[in-house]
Amino acid sequence: MSDITVEDIEAAGTEGAAKIEDAAVDHDEVDGHGAHEEHYTSLGLSNMKLAMWLFLGSECLLFGALISTYLLSKTRFIIELVAGNPDVIAGISDGENGELVQEMIDQQSVEPFFDIPFTSLSSFILLMSSLTMVLAHKAVSEGNYKNLRIWLSTTLLLGATFMAGQVYEFTVFYKEGLTYNGSLFGTAFYTLTGFHGAHVTGGLIMLGSLLLLSFKGKMQQDRAETVELVGLYWHFVDIVWVLIFTIVYLIP
Amino acid sequence: MATATTEKPIDAHDDHEHHPTAKTYWITFLALLILTAVEVAWSYLGLSGPALVVPLLLMMVVKFLIVGGVFMHLQTDLKVLNGYWFTLTFGTAVVLAVCVYIIVFAAFRWDI
Repeated sequence: MSDITVEDIEAAGTEGAAKIEDAAVDHDEVDGHGAHEEHYTSLGLSNMKLAMWLFLGSECLLFGALISTYLLSKTRFIIELVAGNPDVIAGISDGENGELVQEMIDQQSVEPFFDIPFTSLSSFILLMSSLTMVLAHKAVSEGNYKNLRIWLSTTLLLGATFMAGQVYEFTVFYKEGLTYNGSLFGTAFYTLTGFHGAHVTGGLIMLGSLLLLSFKGKMQQDRAETVELVGLYWHFVDIVWVLIFTIVYLIP
Repeated sequence: MATATTEKPIDAHDDHEHHPTAKTYWITFLALLILTAVEVAWSYLGLSGPALVVPLLLMMVVKFLIVGGVFMHLQTDLKVLNGYWFTLTFGTAVVLAVCVYIIVFAAFRWDI
């Protein structure tokens, strides 16, 4: 705020006071501390959104490295498995999954481990959550707080369902003999999908916070960008799953 | 004393007005759903090699661009950026990152 005292206003008279108030409003708009936190940026994009994009850029490098590591590890694992390396075979054998291991050797692929219909359903759920997230942002932009809560709750529910699916999938894989330390493939697979799961969990916490703020009446139209920023993160998590689903699950 | 100006400052929140409609979001979701279904169906066709991998990767890239462009508002937000240095910077970073990954894969593939 500009430093305007009562003495200034009295000295200026009624007309002068109005001009001083106008100047104060203009000053707020220029220095970005107005009631709606709107401000000028040389990019035409808010600083918070720019910061989120920079963060997501760094996340791209993280997941790029994890996906690359997975692909390289899987290839090396398959080569060793087909070559009959006893250490590699022992790493995924639990004494009861001989048929599954033999299927992997015959197909020269890790595909027998995966349950594609189940993972496809998980992908559908995550895609659906991206839609509900963007609809939540639209609702708060339009000042429709009832719809904001409905769509945020739906996104939260869908995200939680996806996570429950991932926990179930990990449990099944573990029971089938795919452990974190047993093989290079297991380590790379759990690290990649586990990191993604951790990001989804982070997104769920953010969504829960937004929902809580909304119920407290603190998520108003002028804070639509906060919902958009969380949405950007959530869509990024969805995009990473789009890559993982194709590269890890569909391409054997 | 503030001076009157005829030029409207570029507001960081103006881009909200250019975001797609709810109908566009639903259509986008349907497109993503159909692409995912085609992807899964394609993986069950029993194809191998490039006939399997190339279409799957293409569909993956299309889905990536659709989510980024529509849901993440890149399609509209890029239009409100002043100049194109921001886009250029990000574009350069992406190209560099892709080059790094290709070199890493090549190094492992040919044991460089």
